[in-house]
Amino acid sequence: MVENKQEFDFTKVWNEPVIRIGWITVLLGSLFAFFPSLYLWITYKVFPPLPMALKAWGLVATAFGAFYVVEPISYYAVLGLSGTYMGFLSGNIGNLRVPCAAMALEVTEAESGTPEAEIAATLGIAGSIITNLIGVTLAAIIGAALIKIFPPVIAEAFKTYTVPAIFGAVFGQFAIRYPKVSIFGLAIPLFFLGVLKFPAWAVIPIAVFGTIGISRLFYNQEKKHSQA
Amino acid sequence: MSPEILRIANSPGVWIGAAITVSVVLIQALLYTRLAYQTADKINYPREKCNMAFRTGLITAIGPSIAIFIVMVGMMSVVGGPVTWLRLSVIGAAPTELTAATIGAEARGVAFGSPDYDLLALATSWWTMAINGFGWLIIVSLFTHKLEGLRERLGGGDPKWLAALSGAATLGVFGYLDSGHILAGGGRLIAVIGGAISMVFLLQLTEKIKWLREYTLGIAMLVGMALAIFLGS
Repeated sequence: MVENKQEFDFTKVWNEPVIRIGWITVLLGSLFAFFPSLYLWITYKVFPPLPMALKAWGLVATAFGAFYVVEPISYYAVLGLSGTYMGFLSGNIGNLRVPCAAMALEVTEAESGTPEAEIAATLGIAGSIITNLIGVTLAAIIGAALIKIFPPVIAEAFKTYTVPAIFGAVFGQFAIRYPKVSIFGLAIPLFFLGVLKFPAWAVIPIAVFGTIGISRLFYNQEKKHSQA
Repeated sequence: MSPEILRIANSPGVWIGAAITVSVVLIQALLYTRLAYQTADKINYPREKCNMAFRTGLITAIGPSIAIFIVMVGMMSVVGGPVTWLRLSVIGAAPTELTAATIGAEARGVAFGSPDYDLLALATSWWTMAINGFGWLIIVSLFTHKLEGLRERLGGGDPKWLAALSGAATLGVFGYLDSGHILAGGGRLIAVIGGAISMVFLLQLTEKIKWLREYTLGIAMLVGMALAIFLGS
């Protein structure tokens, strides 16, 4: 009973302010991002004429529109409430936010789904945003001069191989914990992407919710075993 | 592309506009950090652990940030410093932003970064990146709080199952993300396998060497990259 009360309090002291901070900052960020375009319009009187603006919008929505909806829903179980607001506002979810949240949970030994995990993951993601902002700000200011410190081979390796190496590492991290589920976690998207050639926006929810479904089957099975 | 276009793209007014947007990202991260510490005190979660989690995020982000940094320099030479800075701070992952910027140029009828890439093409590229990011952000802003209800319903109030659910979702997401690189083969396939195996090995190692934990992802990333360079090309 005491446990339950704490859970209830946590939802109140945590979820409400998280949602308030989240929706306001995300909305502001999405609107402020138009400032440079507005500046061009006001100062140089340059703005794409309506047909061109609509054409560009149509093309980009065709390429990414489905992801607008599919990604927040599919990534939610991974990122959690504050993680979704932070992850989407700052971007780089797969290669930065989720790995950092997962490492924060690993290091603090927080159990997934608890209030402690929610706090640790939030701080892990917030920390990653600080590092990331320092990095991009340095790059923007010092820019091209800095890239010369990397030999071409190293620069090329970072450009091509960091992302797959990180994706593999995070998969490995969770595969140890759920080895049986991990087989399906990889097999499902490989099959739909490689064999059936489904588009990416369809494969994401199939992979996420398919793997959750398989995990539920295993979970029920184990539960039955432990009861028997 | 004429230097005049790039001069306009890098003018102070654009920097100010970008700075306002980037500061929203910073302020959000700081507000959540403060809230997390305050809430930790309320539920008696030790500060030490909070610091540990925050530090882990700081350190783990270094490797991926270097990669972003390198991609960024190329993008800056076409759409300018401040807008690249903005786009890679807000929602942007470089491939998405470059696609959107290219689509903008195409709508204008010129090739991205070509000599014909004029001020109107630049304006269309900027507009397209902003409207594309807006698509994700408006959905997240308006509907995220509803998703918590979805998770609770899927979780059914069973904390053990909720943990397994998050794990399965992560495996599904990264299984999908890995698939593209696995199917690409070559160095990218080796990077995936190298990253995964070294991570498994490193996490076994940290059972004994606790301090290593904060660095495991960074090390696994470097091992995956190194293997990809030596075996993949």
